[in-house]
Amino acid sequence: MKIEISFRGALARAGRISMFAAALSQVFAAGLGAQDFGAQGRASNQAPPTNVQNQGPKTPHAAAPKDLTGYWVAEVTELWRYRMIVPDKNDYQYVPLNPEGRKVAAVWDPAKDEASGNACKSFGAPAIMQVPGRIHIYWQDENTLRMDIDSGTQTRLFHFGGSAPQTEGPTWQGFSVASWEGAENIDTRDGQGGPIQDDAGRLIPGRPLRQADFLKVVTTHLRPGYLQKNGIPYSGNAILEEDFDTFPDPYSNTTWLTVASVVTDPQYLIEPAFMHAHFKKVADNSGWDPTTCHANEPR
Amino acid sequence: MTFANMNFKMSGLWLLLLPLLLVLPARPARAQSDIIGEWSPRVYNDGVDVGDYTGIPLNEAGRQRAESWHPDQIDLPENECRPHPIDIGLRVSVSQLRITPELDPETRQQIGYRLHVAWQEPEQVIYTDGRPHPSPNAPHRWSGFSTGHWEGNTFVYFTDHLKEAYLTRTGVPRSSKATVTTRMHRYGNYLNITFIINDPAYLTQPYIREYSWVYTPDQVIAPFPCEIIPDGTILPAGSVPNFLPGKNDILFNFATEYGIPPEAALGGAETISPEYIRKLKTMKVAPRTTTEHFKRAG
Repeated sequence: MKIEISFRGALARAGRISMFAAALSQVFAAGLGAQDFGAQGRASNQAPPTNVQNQGPKTPHAAAPKDLTGYWVAEVTELWRYRMIVPDKNDYQYVPLNPEGRKVAAVWDPAKDEASGNACKSFGAPAIMQVPGRIHIYWQDENTLRMDIDSGTQTRLFHFGGSAPQTEGPTWQGFSVASWEGAENIDTRDGQGGPIQDDAGRLIPGRPLRQADFLKVVTTHLRPGYLQKNGIPYSGNAILEEDFDTFPDPYSNTTWLTVASVVTDPQYLIEPAFMHAHFKKVADNSGWDPTTCHANEPR
Repeated sequence: MTFANMNFKMSGLWLLLLPLLLVLPARPARAQSDIIGEWSPRVYNDGVDVGDYTGIPLNEAGRQRAESWHPDQIDLPENECRPHPIDIGLRVSVSQLRITPELDPETRQQIGYRLHVAWQEPEQVIYTDGRPHPSPNAPHRWSGFSTGHWEGNTFVYFTDHLKEAYLTRTGVPRSSKATVTTRMHRYGNYLNITFIINDPAYLTQPYIREYSWVYTPDQVIAPFPCEIIPDGTILPAGSVPNFLPGKNDILFNFATEYGIPPEAALGGAETISPEYIRKLKTMKVAPRTTTEHFKRAG
């Protein structure tokens, strides 16, 4: 029996098959994962698949992955002495103030702020979630989530889409752009490593890996104010980024709303400042206690 | 056997193997964001003063234990190298954090996550493979026993079997009966970690607190060697510094220094509510000794 084996030829064939298998596996990774292999392998003259990017969007209200609406009361478990009382001048132990910020903090004068109509400087968006009080969140319209705050009688509007109007001046609460965040699709590739597209060049996203499940809010156009009651400054160029989440307490019937805030302000801060606030859901507006802004009161 | 036959048989083999090759890489990825990596703390560490129990829903037993704590206890030999349990390690040690996947040594499949904190090197393994928690009679450990799962973008894990430890650096106790629910949520390059501590021994209600870290892939966590100094070197051998009930003469220094009514500084659920501000205004404050806090070390 004559055995003729060309290893080079066999290896070459095996290699080609392996490359082919690898390329196909990429397509299968997208296709099988999405349970939509047929759609992605569709002929060019057919209608585009249903999961292309130009799918008609729901309104932000209808698309809300979590319900943040309702009445909430602050639970002051952190930085208590900076929030429940007015801290002393120059007490900025937990704020990464730069030298210019320290100079401004050193001349804090609450009486002067009251007299000059600036009593609300410590009730601006970067600070207001830290001020002990109650908040009421509801949809003002399909694209705007509204937060009324009893401390200082302030209102924040979270605009889904759009950008700050250039014609309007800065305000205590600034202009907040909101989005539901956290959604991500599986990154799928064709056999050459490129994105999977339809014939019109539209991306065919992979199946959802994660759904959006938290609220991101970015606030700009701020009137300069204070991060703490004792005159720790932020400038008009500060950018406030917030992450709102809600979840049930694992030990009780409480529902939590947590707000993680990051303030970026190169004028007064060495690095971004982080703050956290926690709220418990309450049934109604019992205890709602609107105050006017006071420069030398905790709320 | 001819070459042609051999080749045909190899091709047949490939045809048999091809579906397997196609399916294996097509396993759907897990629905989770990436928390693995090096994280630099942005922890603003309040609760560093003796007598500062503010914001903590302490009960009377917890308050009594806290008041008996003496700062010299840190120098006891058994405390010098004592690791922080991870719930306090992430909270008060203002220390670097590393999160790595925990792999089964045999199968190399991921079975959880491992947390490593720089200061005193506490470690916590959080199992995600569905294993049950051990018997209530199983030994308690510094970082307890943890199991976790993903809820969308948030990694949630539950810890029990904790040894008794502290909620603050200054002696506010957390009992071995406590359990901790932790929520890790990454957004962008920030990692938020929320702790909800339930301690039937020393708290009247769940205690929530939250801290942030920044993704820092190039950070280096140095080893933390710790050597116990022999008993009697710092403190008299056999002594345990403490305050007997009612004898803590430094308890209200914090309240006095910051202009806080002494009763309010001792914590409790009532003090956490915004309504308490009204009560605070009616309470007496001791004469101030200083307002020059900015001169203190950070």
